Amino acid sequence: PARGGRGGGARGGRGGAAKVVVEPHRHAGWFVSRGKEDHLLTKSMAPGIDVYGEKRISVDSTTTDENGAPVTTKVEYRIVNPFRSKIAAGIIGGLDNIYMKPGSKVLYLGAASGTSVSHVSDCVGPTGNVYAVEFSHRSGRDLVNCATNRTNIVPIVEDARHPLKYRMLVPMVDVIFADVAQPDQSRIVALNAHLFLKIGGGVVISIKANCIDSTAAPETVFAQEVQRLRAEGIKPKEQITLEPYERDHCIVVGEYQGSK
Amino acid sequence: MGHVDFLLHEASVGYALFKVVHQQDSVGLHLKEVREASQDLAKLGKMVQLVSFAPWRNAADALENINSVSEGIMTDYLKSHLELNLPQSKKSKIVLGVADRNLGGSIKAVFPGVEVETGDTSEATADLLRGVRLHAPKLLKSLEEGDIEKAQLGLGHAYSRGKVKFSVHRHDNHII
Repeated sequence: PARGGRGGGARGGRGGAAKVVVEPHRHAGWFVSRGKEDHLLTKSMAPGIDVYGEKRISVDSTTTDENGAPVTTKVEYRIVNPFRSKIAAGIIGGLDNIYMKPGSKVLYLGAASGTSVSHVSDCVGPTGNVYAVEFSHRSGRDLVNCATNRTNIVPIVEDARHPLKYRMLVPMVDVIFADVAQPDQSRIVALNAHLFLKIGGGVVISIKANCIDSTAAPETVFAQEVQRLRAEGIKPKEQITLEPYERDHCIVVGEYQGSK
Repeated sequence: MGHVDFLLHEASVGYALFKVVHQQDSVGLHLKEVREASQDLAKLGKMVQLVSFAPWRNAADALENINSVSEGIMTDYLKSHLELNLPQSKKSKIVLGVADRNLGGSIKAVFPGVEVETGDTSEATADLLRGVRLHAPKLLKSLEEGDIEKAQLGLGHAYSRGKVKFSVHRHDNHII
């Protein structure tokens, strides 16, 4: 795959390049690299494999074994591109609570080819699960391929409007992340929440104003969607715009209180 | 309303039939406590009891069943499971809680003594089915920790590969 950024041709030069320091992010399961530029990272579930041509950073981490002798292991992180992942744009934008951490079960609606899903899969790690729903067959094929390398992703090629069709594949989850860009997305999220979301679980929904109503002002559309979520028992907690990564998008985070 | 005798839970590992031993008071349905009861394993364990669990015999069997269940069709395997475990009485109808209206219709067509409630028609059924889903790993006692997740992973791949019309190996078959 094509590699952008500086030193495109210098493949061997990457490992020995400028020293980077990786620090854990405020949100568990996410990391930040401090170097010439700062990047948001996730710790790769499948080291050695890139999902969509993203850059990977290998860092030596030293721990001590039971005898007190130092053991050095390589840990691979993948750089998250906030232009390609709404959840990453939301994290960089300063979301307070994303309801997902290592070990969480995430229902991901609108998984597409699995680029952003792969980072969520890194975040929840081997003890968590991502149930990735995507209806498009072409994207679904890439999603299935991505899931073969990451055993915590359950690929579901099905319409998120009909959650009953995949009820055998999904347990009760801790959070629903939705990036479906459909006019009736609040209803889609609510249908899934009523079936699969724990009480007190999180709803993280990316809203593209144009997809709901291209004639109204974005702020009006966002306010209207928040009202719809509230009516479905999802208590809104925070809302941020995804500028400068996406235009007229916002992420709304809510907490599920149960229907009615 | 709100009365339900049995619950059908379609899991990634097989069909599970639960008997509702402690009926909820329909007056209290909207009360928060009742909802919370189905969240709490200790309380739910007193309300529902596992009657029988029919695991898939093999992977092909599982795939056939999920394909039918998602379309609301009752497979022969489910039919024989219900025949064996639902009490057949001429006098009073028993109420079975099913997640999907279409599957409920298929069951009703074959079993005249069965009335069906779904999550849409009865809030109690919806809450109980949510509770069963939440605690399925504990309620299905023959399973080991993580069995359901493993089955979901395998079945998810099988189901999705079946749905994707393109070859998963990225080679599209060109029409010559």
